[in-house]
Amino acid sequence: MAGGEGPVAECREHLFKVLVIGELGVGKTSIIKRYVHQLFSQHYRATIGVDFALKVINWDSKTLVRLQLWDIAGQERFGNMTRVYYKEAVGAFVVFDVTRGSTFEAVSKWKHDLDSKVLLPNGSPIPAVLLANKCDQKKDGSQNPSQMDQFCREGGFVGWFETSAKDNINIDEAARFLVENILANYKTFPNEENDVGKPKLDLDPLKAESKSQCC
Amino acid sequence: MAKSRGGGGPGSPGSARGLAGTRESLAEAGGDELSSLGSDSEVNGGGGGPEERRVDKFGFIVGSRSAEGPLEEVPLEVLRQRESKWLDMLNNWDKWMAKKHKKIRLRCQKGIPPSLRGRAWQYLSGSKVKLEQNVGKFDELDLLPGEPKWLDVIERDLHRQFPFHEMFVSRGGHGQQDLFRVLKAYTLYRPEEGYCQAQAPIAAVLLMHMPAEQAFWCLVQICEKYLPGYYSEKLEAIQLDGQILFSLLHKVSPVAYKHLSKQKIDPILYMTEWFMCAFSRTLPWSSVLRVWDMFFCEGVKIIFRVGLVLLKHTLGSSDKLKSCQGQYETMERLRALSPKIMQETFLVQEVIELPVTERQIEREHLIQLKKWRETHGELQCKSPPRLHGAKAISEAEPPTRKALEPVPSIIVPPGPAPVPKARKSKEKNREKSSGSPANGPGAEGNGAPGAAPELLHPQVSPHHQSKESLCSRESEDTYL
Repeated sequence: MAGGEGPVAECREHLFKVLVIGELGVGKTSIIKRYVHQLFSQHYRATIGVDFALKVINWDSKTLVRLQLWDIAGQERFGNMTRVYYKEAVGAFVVFDVTRGSTFEAVSKWKHDLDSKVLLPNGSPIPAVLLANKCDQKKDGSQNPSQMDQFCREGGFVGWFETSAKDNINIDEAARFLVENILANYKTFPNEENDVGKPKLDLDPLKAESKSQCC
Repeated sequence: MAKSRGGGGPGSPGSARGLAGTRESLAEAGGDELSSLGSDSEVNGGGGGPEERRVDKFGFIVGSRSAEGPLEEVPLEVLRQRESKWLDMLNNWDKWMAKKHKKIRLRCQKGIPPSLRGRAWQYLSGSKVKLEQNVGKFDELDLLPGEPKWLDVIERDLHRQFPFHEMFVSRGGHGQQDLFRVLKAYTLYRPEEGYCQAQAPIAAVLLMHMPAEQAFWCLVQICEKYLPGYYSEKLEAIQLDGQILFSLLHKVSPVAYKHLSKQKIDPILYMTEWFMCAFSRTLPWSSVLRVWDMFFCEGVKIIFRVGLVLLKHTLGSSDKLKSCQGQYETMERLRALSPKIMQETFLVQEVIELPVTERQIEREHLIQLKKWRETHGELQCKSPPRLHGAKAISEAEPPTRKALEPVPSIIVPPGPAPVPKARKSKEKNREKSSGSPANGPGAEGNGAPGAAPELLHPQVSPHHQSKESLCSRESEDTYL
């Protein structure tokens, strides 16, 4: 990527492909729009196939992260194309809608689809963060934090967040958390393909075991 | 590629940035809504004074779409001439189809007059014949509750189709209600196919041009004749067409082909929405309509050609590729296409001139099908063969003379008319009447609504050719 905004010397640039998956209508597109454009609308179109957005993060003084967000259609039949969409992804958000129990039940299905179709170069699953979206409309009776922690451990998620694209709750935090995990993987298993710029930088030690958070 | 658009900053209520009813995309920075649209009032509902929100000539709320450049205005005189030519064709459709098909094609390429577009699409697609053969079927499906799993998905999509078109702007408004009815009816008509999200924009475009029953049959024709298998469970047909498109690109633009190969960009990454929605979410609206005019006449070839033209003019020279160094940049470029190449006149001309034929597509289809079988095994969803346009459809299902008879949209029942089932809106009445040609007097011999289609089909009696007034003919499905 010979990007125009050439990094200053010693600055390292990463390009990460991150998937956003989950059932139809859980708010995948809204989360991305909120994160990338700081916007929310009731009028987003249903995603047909796949859509993309790019978020550039000045991670620290020496690191620039380009996050490619892949917004994957939620309807089940588009699952027949996910192998192509998932290729070379290094992280994922799996989203469900706290107001609809069925979308939470589908989380495991999505996670399984993910793990069966894409792996890190070292063969381990890509880090996935679970997003409990629409928490602004949360009703009582949904999972409590300790249940969610357990669900994540058992389901192989690196963490979970309650989010609201509408009220801008926890979106940045969730993204930061995922990027930390991706960078931690990168540190252990540098992947040349995802790397741009000069290959010489010692990353800060990252807490890969970083505690899952909720709001 | 962020497009620079006029208007205020993000969030300013009057800002019209990036609200493309047709071309919204994630990467566009200005995807904010017209905040005033939050209300559920019908834009064109009752009591609309002149101070109501303005819509453009296509029904989109003014300011809701990105600037499309100057629209090509057909001079009024030319338009009137075209209308009268089209009326003549529609009134003698079988003759024109049999003997002067090329002329029909030419006229579709020039653009169908807006006032007759909906009617012409029904004739071209054979949906009019289909409706006449299945009188009452839609009403029957309409009354059934439908399967909850499909209803749930359909309902989630209703407010997400062309939300800035006056028909679909309000939650639960007429447009969204009809969209629901059409999509639900399809899941009942083809339970094994159910509902695919990409059918919603297709149905919505149809509903902008015709009532629900007509739109339903037109959707049926698109799903079964023009694009068979596109919306079926496994989405195999669309993936195959992706491969066909890519292979055709090799001949049309070797540079673009090489570039996409090098960057390992699978066709389904850029063509899924293009093809499944027949470009209705990609092109400026005037171009969408022109493309659909040709598509209904000439079939899927037009979709392939549009795709090829867009690829060729976006990635077809080393100069253009300079800004497409990485996979993401290329995909971004393909999603934020240059307005210049999508402009109606330019695009249509390029599409007409591109030498990609039905035979080439069919030949490539066989090649790709063979490859598919080698890598994926047999196709899991068997689809009927694809029919390449109006002529092929009419030859496969020859219409009866009766089926082509114009049906007046509004009938004032003389004397004791059959009481229509409880129906609310004017629109629904219109469907009812056009769906039941036996309403009028002297229509003996017509099958009763709901009679088996095979009974209706062969009955061609001179009665059915009785002339109606031109006035009533013109009124049929004429959406001004």
